[in-house]
Amino acid sequence: MKGTRSWKWAVLVLSIAALVSVGCAKKQTVKSEGAQGAAPAPGVVTEAPVKAPPPAPVTVAPPPEAAPGVAVTEEKLSQFDDVRFDFDKSEVRGDGRKTCGVVADYLKKHPQAKMQIEGHCDERGTAEYNMALGERRATAVMTYLVSLGVPKAALSTVSFGKEKPLDPGHDEGAWAKNRRAHFVLK
Amino acid sequence: MKRSIVAAAGPFLLALSLFPSPAFPLLYIDINAPGGKRMPIAVADVVVDPGDPSLSRGIPKILSDDLVLTELFDLVPPTAHMESVTAAHFSGKPLSFPGWKMIGAEAVVIGNVSARGDRLSVEMRLYDATQGTLLLAKRYTGTPAQLRSIVHRFANEIVYTFTGVRGVFGTEIAFTARSGKSKGKELYIVGMDGQDLRKVTDNRSFNLFPRWSPDGQWLAYTSFRTGTPSVYLRNVSTGAEKEVIRFGGSKAPGGFSPDGVWLYAGVSQAGNSDIYRVRVVGGAMEKVAEGWGLEVSPSLSPDGKRIAFVSDRGGSPQIYVKAIGVAGETRISNGAGYATSPSWSPAGDRIAYTARSGGRFIVATVAPDGTGSREVASAADGDCEDPSFSPDGRSLVYTYRKRDYSALKIISLDGRRQRTLVSGLGDVGSPAWSPGR
Repeated sequence: MKGTRSWKWAVLVLSIAALVSVGCAKKQTVKSEGAQGAAPAPGVVTEAPVKAPPPAPVTVAPPPEAAPGVAVTEEKLSQFDDVRFDFDKSEVRGDGRKTCGVVADYLKKHPQAKMQIEGHCDERGTAEYNMALGERRATAVMTYLVSLGVPKAALSTVSFGKEKPLDPGHDEGAWAKNRRAHFVLK
Repeated sequence: MKRSIVAAAGPFLLALSLFPSPAFPLLYIDINAPGGKRMPIAVADVVVDPGDPSLSRGIPKILSDDLVLTELFDLVPPTAHMESVTAAHFSGKPLSFPGWKMIGAEAVVIGNVSARGDRLSVEMRLYDATQGTLLLAKRYTGTPAQLRSIVHRFANEIVYTFTGVRGVFGTEIAFTARSGKSKGKELYIVGMDGQDLRKVTDNRSFNLFPRWSPDGQWLAYTSFRTGTPSVYLRNVSTGAEKEVIRFGGSKAPGGFSPDGVWLYAGVSQAGNSDIYRVRVVGGAMEKVAEGWGLEVSPSLSPDGKRIAFVSDRGGSPQIYVKAIGVAGETRISNGAGYATSPSWSPAGDRIAYTARSGGRFIVATVAPDGTGSREVASAADGDCEDPSFSPDGRSLVYTYRKRDYSALKIISLDGRRQRTLVSGLGDVGSPAWSPGR
């Protein structure tokens, strides 16, 4: 299988690199003879050497079945709406409170149910910050559900930051859908 | 301020007459002087006896590509070379320096390779053609598969000889990519010259935020492969792994202490992320910085005494600097409504970060006291994010993103020269430059 092979190859290359770093350190036996004594020359050379072209960047052809860079989106469908958030915010808005009310009613009627709340962000900004922001969004929803009487033991959170967009688009319409808490019954 | 350049900037002042006394360091090229002339250098065909004759041109090709990448040198084309280098030149016969000078070379590189079984012996020499003096001579041994690494090492020596700063050839960049139909993101490593691209993880979950240990042997990263995020350390040579942070919710490693003892990370608990550090051996964990807001992305100063990190305690994410173990923090990002992902320079004098400016994200640097902020990378049609310093401090690698297109780029600190390192690999990000080799 391709992935396994390339992984093994990577390990092989890394092992070799490690070996050469050990091997070479001991073998640099030719001493520099002139480095201390050579004074730079004042002469000016006027000929114009030919510049070599810069090396081409690595370009790896994407697999034929996918356009480059288009995120493939996939998530577990939920019977509950997502709770949406404003940019860089984690307060549960009025519309989100309505959704949380529906979720809380369900969980109170099904005391054996376990609910995971996924926190998500839009694509803008740094991945690490968004990872923490998604956690804060999921926790804000969890805290609100607890305030509605849902036992905390029925709830858990996980943040996917900006890694799992619902809508792969790049406009406010897509971003608004992606800033969300998503409910998954475990 | 330093106007240094990159593995990609030039032209440079040839400071040939500035250091006439051997008591001074032998600096031929002033990397801090913009607008000067480059060093004309000739890389002669390598003597091969016995061994694979393709090495005769193969070794000069690798070396020449490296030297071109620095933009510190102009190569005298091989078609202009008049003297054939032979084995005799390695046992006392002098080169014909007037001939090399005549074709414009101020420095000449010659090499001699012999093979015994699967072992190569590579002797490389660097001459000052204007003075006829030997500047540098090294002998390396290894297998044919190690040849690129050997030549990169000599290229670093050449750069050091002329600039006083060791080159970065043979260093690597770790990053994340979501390629093709993959649902997750995997870690990849690529050479700083764009060669030797390879996949590090292959578990189809999210593998994020790679960070190098100071010895370059380990990558810390966050993986979702068990369904919930943990921080792992992975040995890049052997693939061996161990889990180092399971505690808390979301988590992202930021950087190691210079001695490699501590790994610093942002870790969420009850929805609130703070900065922690964990002992790489033993796993003891302690809180380093906390607040009402989200604290993430710690980057260590080179002396290990301070961290730069992100906090949104003031209402929007901004960069703060804090002395470890000392109360109090100083905000150093000013003006931007959104500033994240700090990366402390190897010399300690600058911190690179991502700033939001006019609706776009740009890469900027600032002094650790918050003064002297300046833009490095921006694009009218896309975002520039996630900078990471090269080990020589002369360049940054960052992510360029425009809708569905993304690429890793390398730019000089003054922003004047840049090149694309990786493109066409899908959604790429979180580049981290390895330590020097």
